[in-house]
Amino acid sequence: MAKIGVYVCHCGENIAGAVNIEEVVKYSQTLPDVVVVKNYVFMCSDPGQDLIKQDIKDGLVDRVVVAACTPRTHEPIFRDAVEAAGLNRYFLEMANIRDQDSWAHWHDKSGATEKAKRLIKSAVAKVRLAEPLYDRYGDVEKSVMVVGGGVAGMFAALDLANMGLKVYLVERQPSIGGNMIKLDKTFPTMDCSACILTPKMVEVAQHPNIELITYAEVDEVKGYVGNFDIRVRKKARYIDWDKCTGCGVCTQICPARVPNEYNFGMDQRRAAYIEFPQAVPKKAVIDAPNCLYFKSLKKTGKPACEICKKGIPPKGIQGCPADAIKFDDKDEYVTLKVGAVILATGYKVMDKTHFKEYSPHSPDVVTAMEFERILSATGPTEGELKRPSDGTKPKTIAFISCVGSRDERYHSYCSKVCCMYMFKHARILKEKYPDIKLYLFFIDVRTAGKDFEEFYVYTKQLGVKVIRGGRVSAVDVKPNGKLRVRGFDVDLCSPVELEADMVVLATAIEPPEGTEELGRLFAATCGREGFLREVHTKLYPVETAAKGVFIAGCVQGPKDIPESIAQSRAAAAAAAALVIPGKIKFEAIISEVDRDKCSSCGVCVPLCPYNAIRLEEYKGKDKAKIEPALCAGCGVCASACPSRAIVFHGYTTEQILAQIEALTEV
Amino acid sequence: MEEVTVNVIDLNQCDEDFIKQLIELGAEELKECIQCGKCASTCPMALAGLEFFIKRIIHAATLGLRDILIEDPSVWACQSCNRCVEICPMDVKPYEIIQAVRRAAVRVEACPASTYEGLRNLYRFGHAVFPKGFEERRKKAGLPEKPPTALSFDELRKKYQEVLKQTILEEIAPFPLD
Repeated sequence: MAKIGVYVCHCGENIAGAVNIEEVVKYSQTLPDVVVVKNYVFMCSDPGQDLIKQDIKDGLVDRVVVAACTPRTHEPIFRDAVEAAGLNRYFLEMANIRDQDSWAHWHDKSGATEKAKRLIKSAVAKVRLAEPLYDRYGDVEKSVMVVGGGVAGMFAALDLANMGLKVYLVERQPSIGGNMIKLDKTFPTMDCSACILTPKMVEVAQHPNIELITYAEVDEVKGYVGNFDIRVRKKARYIDWDKCTGCGVCTQICPARVPNEYNFGMDQRRAAYIEFPQAVPKKAVIDAPNCLYFKSLKKTGKPACEICKKGIPPKGIQGCPADAIKFDDKDEYVTLKVGAVILATGYKVMDKTHFKEYSPHSPDVVTAMEFERILSATGPTEGELKRPSDGTKPKTIAFISCVGSRDERYHSYCSKVCCMYMFKHARILKEKYPDIKLYLFFIDVRTAGKDFEEFYVYTKQLGVKVIRGGRVSAVDVKPNGKLRVRGFDVDLCSPVELEADMVVLATAIEPPEGTEELGRLFAATCGREGFLREVHTKLYPVETAAKGVFIAGCVQGPKDIPESIAQSRAAAAAAAALVIPGKIKFEAIISEVDRDKCSSCGVCVPLCPYNAIRLEEYKGKDKAKIEPALCAGCGVCASACPSRAIVFHGYTTEQILAQIEALTEV
Repeated sequence: MEEVTVNVIDLNQCDEDFIKQLIELGAEELKECIQCGKCASTCPMALAGLEFFIKRIIHAATLGLRDILIEDPSVWACQSCNRCVEICPMDVKPYEIIQAVRRAAVRVEACPASTYEGLRNLYRFGHAVFPKGFEERRKKAGLPEKPPTALSFDELRKKYQEVLKQTILEEIAPFPLD
């Protein structure tokens, strides 16, 4: 028979102010198997814990009920105390007579006292039936995969590699660099984006602990925290990267021209191409759907063009000097074992075509990201400011904020960086061309961030016109080719109009394509807006619902470069803290299937939010099996199982029924 | 067909030279204004319900909307109380902007008629506004007919007029400076 000790905490006045402690103590003494009842002003303090420990050591009690505050914060403390005194740490039950009782019923003292009695009675009923449970430990693979080679992924990879961990950096594009490498300058310091990022890209590529896998995607994920088996598909490059020297000959002689994604289609690249001049690794790939060799092979069965390989001998044009062209290249699959994963797949900006009211058909209406390329020295105009329609230099430019952001039809959130990059664009232009007229249309100006407000005021002083409350209603193309912008100026309290040569739309930051699929592969969940979701905004900002899978950068939500880097280094620290010890503790409070009772209905499999259950053959039949490492102890499967074949350790059916009985007894 | 006039402000009217002129005429901190509106919440003009009050005047000035500022009489309604200067968190000195707009307006003779009346009085009597028609009552109360200000001291007023003649008034006064 169990010897139960009940320890009632006053929590200062928090509990004692509403609950009659003396009455509760007297009542508790009458409960079955209860042998000791004590009370103390702060049970969680050292002397409070000593009361419990002493009674256990003296052999007076072998089950403990602490009637106090919330188990969420205090259960670990009391479990440790019970264990330190020699009991199984799961022979402890807490009755929350503060959050669920004294605080909630502060003005009904006798009611609160009665409720405290019930809650203690229920905890006693449960702890009587407690079984000893044991925490288990598993091995952890000391390596990490980072998915996404933008600024966030790069910094996470570098930090982990510098801690001595093996890092696999997987990037979808041929080169790392992400969105940041496309930017001209960065606010608020006006650093040249490529100048500060290129050295980091090289550092990533040369780091002995980083294995860079570009032009590749995650294909399949198996395993669980500490022991992931991840299959990566390396896309066929049709160029042997071991031989390719990045000389660029193929990219000049290839006759097939296609819109250049790197410059958002504002110029052209060839089917054989190097993503951009500072690409790391600087290797060429052949884009098969656009390559004439593959196109003709598909149509006629014969390749029509092999210029990149053989050149055009009659004209004295040589093909690839490194003999690297490999038309028979195939997708390659590698399976990598890692202990943790960081997802840092970044963002994309919304396309202008959604916004019919802003004349997206006009080439002179561009998105801010396109404008970034127009300003960039490596862009389609080589950094010269030109109107896309006719190549003239614009004299008046309108910038429109919140295009697709703060808009229930598209995205309800604020994209956070637009106000600042609009000022950045204005400042770049005003410093280069002091006479240019710039009108910035805002709903309101949001410049929260270190040195941001100062940046705004400085930019205003350069003569940039700020129109607030002015979400532009229309951009129309006038017969003279100019753009009429119609807005509202809340400071003038009047509708306003402007004839501009160019319009720049600050389109919203969105999750990149495939984010949901990526999340699903790793069992990480997405929020309403489609960004990967952190477990807790404040306390667990880099953790996902999937254990061992962390997030960094804009894939979690819009943020600027400093924030992305800060978050990526936080994710690196969290991943390192998980894998470096080499061991991981698995909770004892998990569900287990009694396979002899399991009817093979499979109801539990899709219900499990952690993908921990699968059907596995047992005595010739498929039966449910719960992977203990993945189980988070939520209990969903146990409550749904029609055969009562799932035991939820720590919350067995017998325990729950005993609690219900205790609570409802008249 | 005549164009229908609608109540839309054309931002292309922006006159950068006008902004430069205002800055030269004393609106030195004009471009620092972030339209926070603290001035407007204390401005007697705004409290009295005038629609074109200090905050909007400053915004129109930063946009270089010359015609609107010159044609609207609001700047002349400013009470010169200087509360805005004391309260402005960006140290824009809003009253100085009003003054700069007034100075610009005077240069193109775009002032309300009453302004010229006041200016003439200022030149002739040393006061833009002063009590008139109280001579009898003052006498009854045992006071001198004229108060002991510039009105009573012809010598000093002459000197004052000499000083005024050294100023821009010499160029712009629409009345003889005799």
